[in-house]
Amino acid sequence: MEFVSPEGLRLDGRRPTEMRQLRAAIGAVSKADGSAVFEMGNTKVIAAVYGPREVENKAELINDQALVRCEYTMANFSTGDRVRKPKGDRRSTEISLVIRQTMEACIMTHLMPRSQIDIFVQVLQADGGTRSACINAATLALADAGIPMRDLVTSCSAGYLNSTPLLDLNYVEDSAGGPDVTVGFLPKLDKVTLLQMDSKLSMDIFQSVMQLAIEGCKAIANYIREVLHENTKQLEYRRGV
Amino acid sequence: MGEKLAEEEREIVTPGEVLGRAAELKAGKGTYVSADGAGVSYVYASLTGRRALLPPPPDSPDKRPIVEVTGHKAHGAVPEPGCIVLARVKKVMAKMASADIMCVGERSVREKFTGVIRQQDVRATEIDKVDMHASFRVGDIVRAVVVSLVHMVLLFLVPSHVALLGGTCIILDTFTKLSLGDARAYYLSTAKNELGVVSAESTAGLRPEMVLAGEMMIPISWTEMQCPVTGQIEQRKVAKVGN
Repeated sequence: MEFVSPEGLRLDGRRPTEMRQLRAAIGAVSKADGSAVFEMGNTKVIAAVYGPREVENKAELINDQALVRCEYTMANFSTGDRVRKPKGDRRSTEISLVIRQTMEACIMTHLMPRSQIDIFVQVLQADGGTRSACINAATLALADAGIPMRDLVTSCSAGYLNSTPLLDLNYVEDSAGGPDVTVGFLPKLDKVTLLQMDSKLSMDIFQSVMQLAIEGCKAIANYIREVLHENTKQLEYRRGV
Repeated sequence: MGEKLAEEEREIVTPGEVLGRAAELKAGKGTYVSADGAGVSYVYASLTGRRALLPPPPDSPDKRPIVEVTGHKAHGAVPEPGCIVLARVKKVMAKMASADIMCVGERSVREKFTGVIRQQDVRATEIDKVDMHASFRVGDIVRAVVVSLVHMVLLFLVPSHVALLGGTCIILDTFTKLSLGDARAYYLSTAKNELGVVSAESTAGLRPEMVLAGEMMIPISWTEMQCPVTGQIEQRKVAKVGN
């Protein structure tokens, strides 16, 4: 199947190094301490953050830092076929763990000892790249909750089909069976916090694909900073500052 | 030039943005210091908000200005050892009372934390003769301090003999490792004059129809509070309010 046409266009009309349209909104869940909706093309994800609050399960309490918990679920209506088991299945558990480790690396947990921070992410519409959209939404929600972080974590995926590195795969390109590299990146500190890959790639091609994903992460970081700037100005305007 | 500097100082920053060099600026609230690959230390922002530059305190040897980032939403308060908290008593038992911590310092918490006041932490004198029911009742608002185990140990070890000095180092070490985390909840102490019950409601009145008078009681001494309506005196460990 042809994923990149001879003119250099993908199935949805994008260029190989073009990302899907990004949209973000902060404060969707008013009851949560912080929340955000993040869209990458047709993939739509909502994140809610609660904390720091008292640890529920005292056995998990950590003395000198905050405990970070994360739950990833997919809404029943998020994919074409009704999702049978929204959470508890292996894929959700794995993605929950991945998001938790990524966010834990950048939250300054030592400032809130003996407390718990809960991150809930739910996929409302899945069209490839849900993992990345969840991490980006969680970053926005944590920034909204006022939780101190070392840097904004952004994530993007890249693949390699028809001998071309492609940025930000959608569902059709992802299910083609080619390699799918997901990168979690701290843009100002220039550090990679998450690196996952499906399928196989030779070393030199992997370098170029990973570099492309990192460029995507930097672009998402610029967008997220703009959104946070806008949100701060809006809040100040409403407060009358 | 002055206006431009003021603009720059008040700009909106997001987590991870560089605010300046650590050699020139001191890290205040909402910022942190980290060294990059080359070993140079920079001050980074950790919150989203407006950056502000404060002059250094006049009596400190460090002449660097302090940079702060103030966000719109501060994260919920978390009790730390040594901080003053306001808690509502939930349960009183023979040897301890459990309370819900509602305020940490001047900030209220988003969701309550659980605190425990042990018999030995109620007051400073005659700690083994404390009657918990004569110190607290359910529904009382109490001002307490979150116990820091190291501080407690130092107070205990000060009067010990010089000959034990070798042993005390080992004991101190063990105690600091035995942190607050072994407890199910935060340990609170009211063993100071200004700590204890700050607000309490009186219980049933003298006449049957005055069940749960619910009047705010007035403190008359450090062990007694009086209901203004019925005149009944109830026992509490009262906090000394005022100067």
